[in-house]
Amino acid sequence: MSIKHRHITLIFLIAIGILFLPIASEAQSFKTESGHVEFESSVPLHSFTGTSNKLVGRISLADSTVDFYLDLHTLDTGIDKRDNDMLETLNAKKYPFAEFYGKLISDFNPDTTSQQQVTVKGKFTLHNVSKKVSIDGTFQKSAEGLTVKASWIINMKDYNIRPPGILFYRVSEEINISINALLPKEN
Amino acid sequence: MKKIVKIGSLILLFTLSSLCVQAQMEREKATIVEPVTTFSTPGLMAQGTTRQLAAGNLNVTIMHSFGIATRNTVRNFFGFDNVQNVRLGMDVGLTDRWSVGIGRSSQFNVVDLRSKLALLQQKTDGSMPLSLSLKGDLGVITQENNRPIEDDISTMVSAIFARKVNDSISLQLSPIYGYFSRAPQGGHNNLFSVGLGSEIRLSNRYSLIVEYFPVIGNKNNGTQNAFTLGLNIETGGHVFQLFFTSTEWHLEQYVLASNSEQFWAGDFRFGFNVNRIFDLW
Repeated sequence: MSIKHRHITLIFLIAIGILFLPIASEAQSFKTESGHVEFESSVPLHSFTGTSNKLVGRISLADSTVDFYLDLHTLDTGIDKRDNDMLETLNAKKYPFAEFYGKLISDFNPDTTSQQQVTVKGKFTLHNVSKKVSIDGTFQKSAEGLTVKASWIINMKDYNIRPPGILFYRVSEEINISINALLPKEN
Repeated sequence: MKKIVKIGSLILLFTLSSLCVQAQMEREKATIVEPVTTFSTPGLMAQGTTRQLAAGNLNVTIMHSFGIATRNTVRNFFGFDNVQNVRLGMDVGLTDRWSVGIGRSSQFNVVDLRSKLALLQQKTDGSMPLSLSLKGDLGVITQENNRPIEDDISTMVSAIFARKVNDSISLQLSPIYGYFSRAPQGGHNNLFSVGLGSEIRLSNRYSLIVEYFPVIGNKNNGTQNAFTLGLNIETGGHVFQLFFTSTEWHLEQYVLASNSEQFWAGDFRFGFNVNRIFDLW
């Protein structure tokens, strides 16, 4: 076989080999549709939380993408009327999702089962406004999948949301958000 | 030969680039099947609705009715000078379908215990087209009247059928049976009505409420069918109900037994209810 032929054969072998790589990287993808998300908000002399167990998330370690979204209609604050007020404030009929899409920018060793501090950077979108954010959290790999925990604070003003309330009795502009999700390996 | 090399390189590049970009997931709305919110509050003016308190929710209610607005209008300042009846009450949701409550009316100092159970709940996906709740109330007159307590008892049971017809209109029909252990002179122990009620949403904050108590069969002397026309105002944490009504009572059995005013003849009074829900657990 001539050198040229060898080169051609080598290129094809590499190309064909890489074609199979996505299958290998699938094993490094994790996805859930039942993650837990919680937010805490406060009004004068009182605070309340809203929760949902319908957080959808996908993390691909192969390319470090982190993708989460939540249908806001699944949030429950414990009081129907408050849920409705919240959805109205967020204009959820028109903008039904809160979402994050970004990249894992810190090191993560998928070969250990210890909890590791990680940082992701990307865009958080709410109320049709996207903001660049950097969020610190933890990843922990186990036989069940990848457990993700993170919490951060958003300011409603940054997302063109007017806190609901009357006169001086208004919901605080700052909302604490936390997520806790076990993402099984994606098939 | 060069062509083959180019094609091979292109495949390599394409494959590499496809590996580098992981597409965003398609956003899909969650399927949510939950009870339809038929009414803004667990009660219209006096009639219970099929709106249930969630488990752990406490609804504190303050209900007022004043004197007839059209009698001595200026001297009594549209009836506001005569507070006819005030009921202070609280109800708590034990489960999402069952609530219990207690209240005290200033008229005869009636203390009442009540409970409401949702048997059917209209669902957002249409799988259940209507709501049905059972409500019961036991009232005792605690004002001193030199009568044995067994003469001061009243009870009420009702079955409330309701349907939210569209985004704006909710309707309800509730057969109501009222019983008084001691009937007034010329009156009856057993009373029956088919209550009608509606809430018509005007905006996210405002809705009209209407309720009507046509007494069927036995009627106490001078009893008129009670009618109420009101406005719900929903604020951050409260629902205020402002209304014109013929009756001063906020308990169904007493509305059947002792309403002597004719709304459409102009004998109506002003009243307002305040509802405040707290999240206990």
